[in-house]
Amino acid sequence: MRPIFQRWLALFRAGRLDRELADEIRIHLAMQEEEFRRAGMSPHAARQAARREFGGIAQAMETYRERRGVPWVEGTARDVRYAIRGLRRSPGFAAAAVLSLALGIGANTAVFSLVYTLMLRMLPVARPQELVTMYRTGGWGNGGISSYPMCLALRERKDLFTDVAALGVASKARFQADGRARPEFAELQYVTGNYFSLAGVASALGRVFTDDDNRVPQGHPLVVLSYDFWRNRFGADPAVVGRTLLVNDRPLTVIGVAARGFRGVEVGRPVQLWAPVVMGAEPKWLMSEGMHWLWPLARLAPGVTRQHAQAAVAALWRQHLERHYGNYPNAAFKRKAFEQGLEVRDAASGFSMLREQFGKPLMVLMAAVGLVLLVACTNLANLLLARGAARRKEIALRYSLGATRGRLVRQGLTESLLLAAAGCVAGTAFALWGEGYILKFIPAQSEVDLSTTPSGAVLAFTLAVSVISALLFGLAPALRSTAVDPAAGLQSRGAGTAGRGAGLRKALVVAQVAFSVVLVVLAGLFSHSLAELRAVDLGFQNRNAISCQLDFPRTWKDEDRRGARQRFVAQAETLPGVLSVSYSFPGPFREGGADITLRVPGSEQTSREPANVQIGYASARYFETIGSVPILGRDFDRNDTANSRKVAIINQAFARAFFPDRANPVGRIVSFDDSKPEGGEPTYIVGVVRNITHYGLRRGVRPTIYVPFSQMDPGWPPSILVRAQTPPSFLIPALRRELEKLGSEVVLTEPRTIGQRIDEDIFQDRLLATLSGFFGALALALAAIGLYGVVAYGTARRAGEIGIRIALGARRAGVVWMVLRDALLLVALGLALGLPVSLAAARTVASVLFEVQAADPVAFATTAGVLAGIALAAAFLPARRAASIEPVKVLRQE
Amino acid sequence: MRFPVDIQKEKAAYFFWMSTGDSKADILQGTLDLMVLRTLQTMGPQHGFGLAKRIQQISGGALDLNQGTLYPALLRLEQRGWIRSHWGASDANRRAKFYEITGKGRRQVEKESEDWARTVAIMERFVRLAEQD
Repeated sequence: MRPIFQRWLALFRAGRLDRELADEIRIHLAMQEEEFRRAGMSPHAARQAARREFGGIAQAMETYRERRGVPWVEGTARDVRYAIRGLRRSPGFAAAAVLSLALGIGANTAVFSLVYTLMLRMLPVARPQELVTMYRTGGWGNGGISSYPMCLALRERKDLFTDVAALGVASKARFQADGRARPEFAELQYVTGNYFSLAGVASALGRVFTDDDNRVPQGHPLVVLSYDFWRNRFGADPAVVGRTLLVNDRPLTVIGVAARGFRGVEVGRPVQLWAPVVMGAEPKWLMSEGMHWLWPLARLAPGVTRQHAQAAVAALWRQHLERHYGNYPNAAFKRKAFEQGLEVRDAASGFSMLREQFGKPLMVLMAAVGLVLLVACTNLANLLLARGAARRKEIALRYSLGATRGRLVRQGLTESLLLAAAGCVAGTAFALWGEGYILKFIPAQSEVDLSTTPSGAVLAFTLAVSVISALLFGLAPALRSTAVDPAAGLQSRGAGTAGRGAGLRKALVVAQVAFSVVLVVLAGLFSHSLAELRAVDLGFQNRNAISCQLDFPRTWKDEDRRGARQRFVAQAETLPGVLSVSYSFPGPFREGGADITLRVPGSEQTSREPANVQIGYASARYFETIGSVPILGRDFDRNDTANSRKVAIINQAFARAFFPDRANPVGRIVSFDDSKPEGGEPTYIVGVVRNITHYGLRRGVRPTIYVPFSQMDPGWPPSILVRAQTPPSFLIPALRRELEKLGSEVVLTEPRTIGQRIDEDIFQDRLLATLSGFFGALALALAAIGLYGVVAYGTARRAGEIGIRIALGARRAGVVWMVLRDALLLVALGLALGLPVSLAAARTVASVLFEVQAADPVAFATTAGVLAGIALAAAFLPARRAASIEPVKVLRQE
Repeated sequence: MRFPVDIQKEKAAYFFWMSTGDSKADILQGTLDLMVLRTLQTMGPQHGFGLAKRIQQISGGALDLNQGTLYPALLRLEQRGWIRSHWGASDANRRAKFYEITGKGRRQVEKESEDWARTVAIMERFVRLAEQD
C-alpha cells in the first residue's frame, strides 16, 4: 500500500525530487573526485574517473524516476508531450489524420446511437428480457398490430404467458385542461388494465389501471398521467388526481400518475396520457376481429421459450384465420387474409412503427460507416508508415542512445492514441450534428423523436471504436518503423532501404482501394435505385400542390364536419393565386389506402367472383388539382351530387384489366353491389385517368376506381389539396387565416406539398443514397491520398533508376506510363479483392433496392471506372515528376 | 518453465535457475538490496557515496558495482519502508543525504539471509554434481 501511495504522491513532487536526486549525485561525484585527488590524480583525471565509476548519470536518474513515481503515468505524460511536439511539427498530417478519424468515428457514433435507440435499448421495466410481442406479418399487416379479440385470446393461454397486455400505437390527442382552455396536443396511448402491472410500473401518485378499469366498452372515462407530463404540464400538483381533463373532447378523470422515468414502451414516442383500451374504439369496432390497432405485450411463463411459444401461437393463429376468413365469399380477399402470420418477437427493447422501415437501412449504414472507419484507419496507417520511414535516422539514434524497442513502440502507439483521442472528441461533435442530419430524413408524420441523449452505452461504443482504430492504424507502423538496425539506420541516406516497408504500404493501399470499392459500389447501387424511383411516372404533374388535413373537435357530428370542409374549400378557392381546391381519401402519398370489391357486368374477370380493386374518394376538380387531366371523359364536377346518377373514374390499369377490348370504357358500367355476377345498382364510368401513383412509389399501380366524395363517403378524414401560383410559405398562413373563420377549434395539420410527401415516402432511399454517396466520396478521397503517397514514394526511391533509363534513351512518355501502370496495378488488385466482396454486400441489400439488381452493371462499371480515374489522377503528379528527372543531377547524387 | 542463466558476463558472477518472466536486472537488484541492507545494518547510517565504497570494500573489489544503480535501489528500499533517509552533514562537513536501516529492514535482512543461504546450499550441490561428471 505504502509504496503505491508514495509513488502517486511523487507524481506531484517530481520537480523537487528531481532536484534532490541531482544534488545527491553531485555530492556523490564531488566526494569521489576528492578521494581520487587525495590519491594523487590530477583534478581533470579525478573528475573523469569519478564519472566513470558512477556509470551513466542519465540512466541512473531515469531508472530512479521510473521507480519513483507511477512510471506508466509519467512515461505516458512524457510520450504525450513528445507526440504533441511531433504532431505540431507536421500540422498537415495531424489535421488530415484527426479529420479523417473524426469523420470515421463520428459517423460510427451517430449511426450506432440511432441503432441503439431504435433497436437495442432495453425498456425501463421489470425483467424486460421476458417480454415478447406477437407481431402480425403479411397481408395488410402494418407494424405488427393485432385486434383486441386476438389479444384477449392470447391472454387465455396461461400455459404460455404469465400475462398478456395490449397497447395502441401512441398518437397525438387533442387535450384541454378544462373546457375553456385552448386545445393542446398530448401523446395518448390506449392500454389494457393489466398493462402497468405487467410492465412492473407502479404509481407515483394516486393509482394506475387495473383490470376493473377496462371492462365495459366506453364505460371507464379515466386517464393516467406520465410523471414528466404531470410535472411539466401540471407543476407536479398533487390535486390533479380527481380532476377532469378533456381528451379528444371527452371528459376523462385523472386517477393517478405513473412512476417516475416511465414513458411507455414505444421507442421515440414518450407517452403522456394513458387511457383504457375500451375507451379507444367504438363498441362495434372494439370486438371486431378485423380491426387491428393493438400491440400484444406478453410475459413468457417460466420455462417457456420463444420457440415453444411460437409453435403454440402459430396454431392459435391458424384457427383464428380459419374461423374468421374460412367461409369468406371473396376469394381474392381470402387469399390475402391467409398470407398473414403471427410471429413471437422479442419485445425487450420496446415497440416501434419505424423499426421495420428504418431498421434495415440503419444496419446497412452501420456496415458502411464501419468500412469508412477501416478506410480511414488504413489511410492513417499508411501515412504513419511514411512518417516512420522518414524518421529511421532518428529512431536509429535513439536506439544507440539506449532506448528499448518496447519504449519506442509505446511512443508510436501514444501518438496513435492521441490522434484517436482528438478524432474521438471531434467525432463526437460531428456525431451530434450527423445524427440530427440523419433524423431529418425521417418523415415528420411518423412523429417519432429518436434524438438521443448521450448514454453510457453509446459513449462506451465511441471509446471502444476510438481505441480499436488507434490500435488498427498504429500498431503495424509502430512495429515496422522501430524495426531498425541502429548502425544501418544511421548510415543510410534517409529512405533508401525501406523495401519491406514499401511492400506493406502497397498492401495497405490495395486494402484501402478494396474497402473503397465496396463503399462506392453501395453508393452506386443506392443512387441508381433512387434514380429509378425518381424516374417512376407519377401519373400527375402538380408536385407543388399543398396537401393538408383538418382536425375537428371530436364532438362535431359528421354533417358539421362536412359542412365546415365545404365552406373552407369554397373560401380557399377565392384566395388570390389559388387555382383549384379539392379533397380526397386517401390523399396522395399519405399512409393509408382502401380496397373495394366490385363486379363489372359483362367482364370475364368478375363473372365467377368479385374483383378486389383499389378505391379513391375524390371531390370535384380533383384530377385537375393534382395535374392529371383525364385522358378520356371528364373530371368530377359540382354536378356529381348525392342525388345525381352514380359515376366513377377509372385508371388505365383498371381499363386494361376489365375492358380488354380496348374500346372506350367511358359510358360502361360497374357495380359495387357484388352479390351477383351481373351486379346491382349501376355506376357509370365517366372518365379514364393515367396510372397515378398514390400509395407510394414502390408499390406500383393496381387497378383503381375513383368515386365522388358526394356519392360515397368513406367516413375517414380526407386530405385537402390546394393548387396555387403562390409559394407554400405564403399560402399556408393564408389557409390558416381562412380556417380561423370556421372557429378556433378546427386545426390545420400537416400542410406539405405533394413533392415533400413523395420525398418522405422514399426517405430510406434518399438517406441511403445521400449517406453512402458521401461515404463513398470520402473513401475515394482517402484512397487517392494513399495511392498518391505510395506512388510518389516509389518514384522518389527509383529516381536513380529512372534517371539511368532516361540517360539510356527511355522516352519520357514511357516513364509516365511506367508510373501510371504501377498505380493502375494497385487499383486493379484492389478491385479484384473488392468487387467480389461488393457483390456479396450488394446481395444483402437487394431487398432495399428498387428495380436494381444486386449485380447492377451500372454501379459496378461506374465503380471500376471511377477507381481507374482516381488511380490516374493520383499518379499523374508523381509520373510527371518522374518524367522530368534530369539524369545528370540524379546520377551525380548516386 | 525454468532455464539456467549464466550471468557472469554481467556485473555479478552467479549461476542461477531463472523462471521465464524474471529479468536479469531483478536478480541483480535482489542481491544488491541485501548488500545495502546488511551494510547499513552493520555500519550504521551512510550517505550514498559511503555506502557504495563500503559495498565495494566488503566484496573485496570482486564486485564491479555501477554506483549509479545504487540510487534507484535506495529509493526502492525506502519505498518499502526498509530504510529511511534524512539530510545531514558528512565528516567533511559536507551536506549529504544519509540512509539508515529500519526495524522492518532488519527483519527483511533476516528473512533474505535465510533464503540466500538456502539457495547457496542448493546451488553448491549442483556445482558438486557437475564436478563429479
